[in-house]
Amino acid sequence: MGTRADELFDYVQERCLWQFHSRTWDREQNIAGIIAKAQDLLAGREPAAETPAERCFVADAKVMVADFRSRFPWIREAPEAEISEALNGLRDRLVDLTIARSRNHELTHTLY
Amino acid sequence: MPMVLLNCDQDIPERERHIYFKVPGEDTRDYLPVANAPTIPGTLSERGCSFCGAKLVIGGALKDTIQMIHGPLGCAYDTWHTKRYPSDNGHFQLKYTWSTDMKESNIVFGGEKRLEKAMHEAFNEMPDIKRMIVYTTCPTALIGDDVKAVVKKVTEARPDVDIFVVECPGFGGVSQSKGHHVLNIAWVSEKVGTVEPEITSPYTINFIGDYNIQGDTFVLERYCERLGIQVIAHFTGNSTYDDCRSMHRAQLNVVNCARSAGYIANELKRLYGIPRLDVDSWGFNYTAEAIRKVASFFGIEDKAEELIAEETAKWKPQLDWYKERLQGKKMAIWTGGPRLWHWTKAVEDDLGVEVVAMSSKFGHEEDFEKVIARGRHGTYYVDDPNELEFFEIMDKAKPDIIFTGPRVGDLVKKLHIPYVNGHGYHNGPYMGFEGFVNMARDMYNATHNPLFRLAAIDIRDAGAAQIEEAA
Repeated sequence: MGTRADELFDYVQERCLWQFHSRTWDREQNIAGIIAKAQDLLAGREPAAETPAERCFVADAKVMVADFRSRFPWIREAPEAEISEALNGLRDRLVDLTIARSRNHELTHTLY
Repeated sequence: MPMVLLNCDQDIPERERHIYFKVPGEDTRDYLPVANAPTIPGTLSERGCSFCGAKLVIGGALKDTIQMIHGPLGCAYDTWHTKRYPSDNGHFQLKYTWSTDMKESNIVFGGEKRLEKAMHEAFNEMPDIKRMIVYTTCPTALIGDDVKAVVKKVTEARPDVDIFVVECPGFGGVSQSKGHHVLNIAWVSEKVGTVEPEITSPYTINFIGDYNIQGDTFVLERYCERLGIQVIAHFTGNSTYDDCRSMHRAQLNVVNCARSAGYIANELKRLYGIPRLDVDSWGFNYTAEAIRKVASFFGIEDKAEELIAEETAKWKPQLDWYKERLQGKKMAIWTGGPRLWHWTKAVEDDLGVEVVAMSSKFGHEEDFEKVIARGRHGTYYVDDPNELEFFEIMDKAKPDIIFTGPRVGDLVKKLHIPYVNGHGYHNGPYMGFEGFVNMARDMYNATHNPLFRLAAIDIRDAGAAQIEEAA
């Protein structure tokens, strides 16, 4: 049986297009930005949404968090520290799969 | 499981790098088909050319623009009538095609004068049309016609027109994808920001990567109207040339396509700070999710929930009727690129259909990352397939229905497997809630049509009795 981070990772793999944007830089921005907003939402805090980029991250994070809550009952009960640990694990897995060990040769291609 | 070398590819083992069969315990860190690579000798590719990618897919959808193709006549015909993207102004873009009809003497002596004459002729014949895209093709690029110089002359003579040049001949890249790339980047560099749109709503978006196939744009436009969102430009379905010059004024870029759309969205993000929101607009679940995300960006979630509830009440019973009858059917998606990952989970979640084989003609590695992440185990994922691979994989995967284009569609007939046009649709639109019901209806009609089974029976002997029995 996988960890909680694995459960979240499997969900994101299946549902979220933002992890697979075209370049390394926008993948990094999306993963960091959306997971940070999800941390706030899951902790019951209103995420900052001052800039257009932040509002976009919040839009993606809200749908993801709503699905997390409906699919993974543990996330409604878990203390903030445990949720944070799972989200950090999710972020590390996403960075590893979509950036660090991605076989996509175009992520850093000068012509793209 | 490693990449797959099919029996038909024994003499071209390079093809192994392009075909993957997904099994549990693997992901795209382990295996990813090589994509957007040159087609190798010995394989009969189903790809189109780079010029086709620019003209047929992107520029050709504009509803108020002369598409002047500087080349032999065939380049115009072959990129004209196969894409079914209507418009709300009487389908101007589908009624006409324009070509400089280059002949041997023009190739020998140069085609610039012929191009200039053709441009003036087109504007004179259609005095209400003031916008034009000029495309180079293989021969006119090879002989070095200076298209931009001709455009400068014509523009000086006609100050009320605006002309855009796409210099992407057929040989410009490995597939259609290069044409998407060249047109999009040049458009942002040269045209975006040159027209100021009238802003009619506090909520403005561009919808990038929807080409109004059989009215997809009209469905999305209705949703936006109900949410009070102004679409400054659909890039490029049912859009005007000037709509797409105004894209810099949108607050959000909603992206439905893949790399071609990503190029333009990333450039708009870099130049104008417009964020990029990628969505799926095929499928019930996905459409609702896309509406929620866009509405959330603008803080109008209540309106979104109202719209989703109304549409769900209207269309879900019909979708469920089809789902009951399509449950467990196996499907192959043999199309261009993005529809693989847009559709594979949508048909599985919303219709109970299993996608068992998918191929992409012009997708990039990004498309394969997406589709392998979403797709099922026990499914083939193929880049730039050839015809023999198609037959071999169909034999292994045994789909009940194949979504592909008209060219592969003719091959499908030989297999007596029903085919639905996965590019131009059979009876679309397919986007949005109602669109997915249309798609389900076409799948149901195709898989329950007895003709395919009957056509496989040889009526000369015992088969005659079977036919009579079936009748």
